[in-house]
Amino acid sequence: MTHDLRVRFEDMGRKLAEKPHLKRLGALFSETVLIEIDGNEYYLAFHRGALERVTEGPSRQTPWRFAIRTDGEALDKFWQPIPEPSFHDIFGFVKTGRGRIEGDILVLVKNLRFFKEFMALGRPEEAAA
Amino acid sequence: MSAQPAYEPIIGRYVTIEVQGRSYRVFVEEAGQGQPVICFHTAGADSRQWRHIMNDAELTANYRFIAPDMPWHGKSLPPEGFEEEEYLLTTEVYVETVLKLVEALALENPIYAGCSMGGRIALQLALNNPEPFKGFIAIEASDFQPAWYDIDWFHRPDAHGGEMGAALVSANIAPQGPKAERWNTQWMFMQSGPGVFRGDLNFYTKDDSLVGKLGGIDTSNKPVHIMVGTYDMTCTPEDAKRTADQIPGATLAVMDGIGHFPMSENPATFRPHFVEALAKMG
Repeated sequence: MTHDLRVRFEDMGRKLAEKPHLKRLGALFSETVLIEIDGNEYYLAFHRGALERVTEGPSRQTPWRFAIRTDGEALDKFWQPIPEPSFHDIFGFVKTGRGRIEGDILVLVKNLRFFKEFMALGRPEEAAA
Repeated sequence: MSAQPAYEPIIGRYVTIEVQGRSYRVFVEEAGQGQPVICFHTAGADSRQWRHIMNDAELTANYRFIAPDMPWHGKSLPPEGFEEEEYLLTTEVYVETVLKLVEALALENPIYAGCSMGGRIALQLALNNPEPFKGFIAIEASDFQPAWYDIDWFHRPDAHGGEMGAALVSANIAPQGPKAERWNTQWMFMQSGPGVFRGDLNFYTKDDSLVGKLGGIDTSNKPVHIMVGTYDMTCTPEDAKRTADQIPGATLAVMDGIGHFPMSENPATFRPHFVEALAKMG
């Protein structure tokens, strides 16, 4: 499961590299994001809108700018082609208590469209918009 | 035979109103004939949200839709002196703006239809100023919604409030809508003037003056119909039901596959629900 998710994030990074508009929108985004799923940590290091590497935790030494923590079932629902209500957006995790967003949230908000569209790349291609 | 211009039936004009002693030049779109329906947009957007309803030939055969851009929004200018002012919408200014528009546009017995903050004002009008209206269609409307975000995000010197606002409100748009219309819906937020979305949200997320008072709305002669989309995370179906349950005689429609901007994000799915709402107005 943990390895599968790392591979999936890396696959999303490859899709990201194929999206010129996301490269443009993420041009100022060079941050590490912690995504924690069922307690397993994944550190996604972005540089100028490209996903450079995905590192599995646990780690107490990897600095991150903001974090999204949720569970695997919620993430699976988020990645459905047509997600059900409350699982269609990362803020749905927060609103329904299925997850938390922590850290420097303003950096997330300033890059919100970029990051939301990156997260949606886990959906089947035709649904990721 | 000479060629005719390929205009849509919507026309736009301007009217000047005075609200709390200040003059506002307001842009108003209009289409159709018959029973007037005055239509108000959500926070951070403008009358273009109603474009599909106003271009619907079957509806405009019997209804005259009038959709203003609230002051500070769309093509309506802010008031003189705005450049040194912090825009913070209040219930009092909003209610007076609606009433002055009804008067200035000489609307007789209009149906009121409003979405989000426009839906909140529908309930304020139904409670405190029902006289000029035939009935109220309150879309994505509830008695009170505290913020689940920091409204100051949307007005900062170091970031584009419109782009951030659009990215946030996309959380309130259902995935079922046509992609083009979902993006058109976000475009209006991207275009919103600096601080306007924040100023609207100041009203929407802080004014709790309806709490505990909805039972005072008299629906016996002025129907109140509340509509809510299942993907609305700001005014959830639970919020709308809580609100409808407090208003004796109010009706509620829950719309599958729709978010916080029904008439704009998914016009085809919204249409039958809106037809039903208009029918309930008598």
